[in-house]
Amino acid sequence: MRRVWALVGKEFADQRQNLALFLPVLIVGIVAIAMPVVVAIVIPAVAGEKLSDSSDFEVALELYRDQPGLRGLNPEAAVQAFIFQYFSLMFMLIPITCAMSIAAYSIVGEKQARSLEPLLATPLTTMELLGAKVLSSLLPALLMTVACMGIYMLTILAFAQSGVIWAVLAPRTLAIVFVLGPLAGLAALQMAVCVSSRVNDARTAQQIGVTIILPVVGLFISQLMGAFRLTTPLMLVIAVVLVGLNAVLMAVAIRIFDRETILTRWK
Amino acid sequence: MALDDVSFELKSGEIFALLGPNGAGKTTTLRVLAGLIAPSSGTVHLDGVPMTPATSSQLRAHIGFLTEAPGLWDSLTVRQNLEVYARLYDLDSPRKAVDEALALFEIPDRAKDRPAELSKGLRQRVALARSLLHKPRLVLLDEPTANLDPESAREVRELVMGLRQQGRTVLLCTHNLDEVERVADRVAVLRTRLIAVGSPEALRQRLFAPRVRVTLRQLASTYEPLLRGAGLTDIRSDGTQMSVALNGTPLTTPDLVRRLVQAGADIEAVVQEEPPLEEVYLKLLHPEGGVQ
Repeated sequence: MRRVWALVGKEFADQRQNLALFLPVLIVGIVAIAMPVVVAIVIPAVAGEKLSDSSDFEVALELYRDQPGLRGLNPEAAVQAFIFQYFSLMFMLIPITCAMSIAAYSIVGEKQARSLEPLLATPLTTMELLGAKVLSSLLPALLMTVACMGIYMLTILAFAQSGVIWAVLAPRTLAIVFVLGPLAGLAALQMAVCVSSRVNDARTAQQIGVTIILPVVGLFISQLMGAFRLTTPLMLVIAVVLVGLNAVLMAVAIRIFDRETILTRWK
Repeated sequence: MALDDVSFELKSGEIFALLGPNGAGKTTTLRVLAGLIAPSSGTVHLDGVPMTPATSSQLRAHIGFLTEAPGLWDSLTVRQNLEVYARLYDLDSPRKAVDEALALFEIPDRAKDRPAELSKGLRQRVALARSLLHKPRLVLLDEPTANLDPESAREVRELVMGLRQQGRTVLLCTHNLDEVERVADRVAVLRTRLIAVGSPEALRQRLFAPRVRVTLRQLASTYEPLLRGAGLTDIRSDGTQMSVALNGTPLTTPDLVRRLVQAGADIEAVVQEEPPLEEVYLKLLHPEGGVQ
């Protein structure tokens, strides 16, 4: 692990020198925090109307009256809680975006600096090299997720009705943000590692890796359309699928990260 | 096929130069030796241990590889670059090893600089320091003086010769035949297959007859009939100089000089002719004399 951490340290130094890498995740984070605040707090305040008076949210009210955590809330707070919970799906995009932009750059960056060959000439194994690349992308992604979630909660605490925060801080939200999000992020960054082993610029790797966002957006829209509810069993199924996908991607990454191909074809 | 039937042994503490035209497989040979590429058949042994997927990582700890491009990380300082590698090589005291390397390569004052701020020569020196941090037994150098100015190239050459004094084995891959002439104990000429291996002197003797160049005060051609009469057949005269091949005759250099003096020649200089390594190299690559 000593060698892995040595390389992780180098990657962090690289990231500090290249803060533009965090721009996409900052945009996603701001949107994920701002959108529900605008919908649940700003628009009703500007319009002078209550969300609970709108027929659009009747379904939400009915749905959430069944939840023990929401029973103590007044109708307006229950709708706010519904919106904040609903938008928490957006937080899955934070680790995905962050991990992907860092991982794609980290392999392609080595190619561009022609620093991979001396690196491969050290006792570092392929597993250690990929492990370091994955860790150094995943850790900042998790840190960004925690930071954005913290800001989200503080925003809810500051602007939403009392009690809403406890309804949002339910196991379901936490599972989405801290289990499904990181698993999806890990899958995205492993895709980026696989792709960047075969391409010569970070943008191509990111463009291909970005496809992992599509199922998340699909989930978001499907829920919005009322096609299904993200229930606990469904989240469990998604988590299992993501774990399987990560295992497959890890095996593929190790297999295609062939030293000989990389050294002879990377120009 | 990049390489075919290439087999040679490196002796401890020697500088071995690998020569060959572009695409001959020199860099591939270095990569195979460094454990970066597995040969489709055959094995690399380091101190008797075969390089296999299982031993590759362990053996790489005893090999230093200076790649053609320095490949330094511009986001890190020189010290940080070296420290990462010291940790990758699992050195007990990375900071101490880096301090020693910086001192050895006379770059402690550039420790806080980033590689992008350094000249090509200094970058190469840092890369060389990086490849020697872990005091490897085998040092592989791919074009270590390519694109360097004469002064920097000389410094790198001196560092390479210093490695021999420390008992390290150096495999040098270069196009610079003058450099090879100066530093190499043995040479291998490669063009996908190994064409020849030996010391520069042995290769010269194998390919060229020993010749003596005599500089006279008189016109050299005047004395040609005298020497032909003594049984010498390969004589080339050019103004006051003559080049004579002595092989295949009973004459030695003192005999030659004696005969010329007795015939009244005023001799200014007598030197043993050594064809430059470039001629040896070209003759090995083109035995028919097709390319000069």
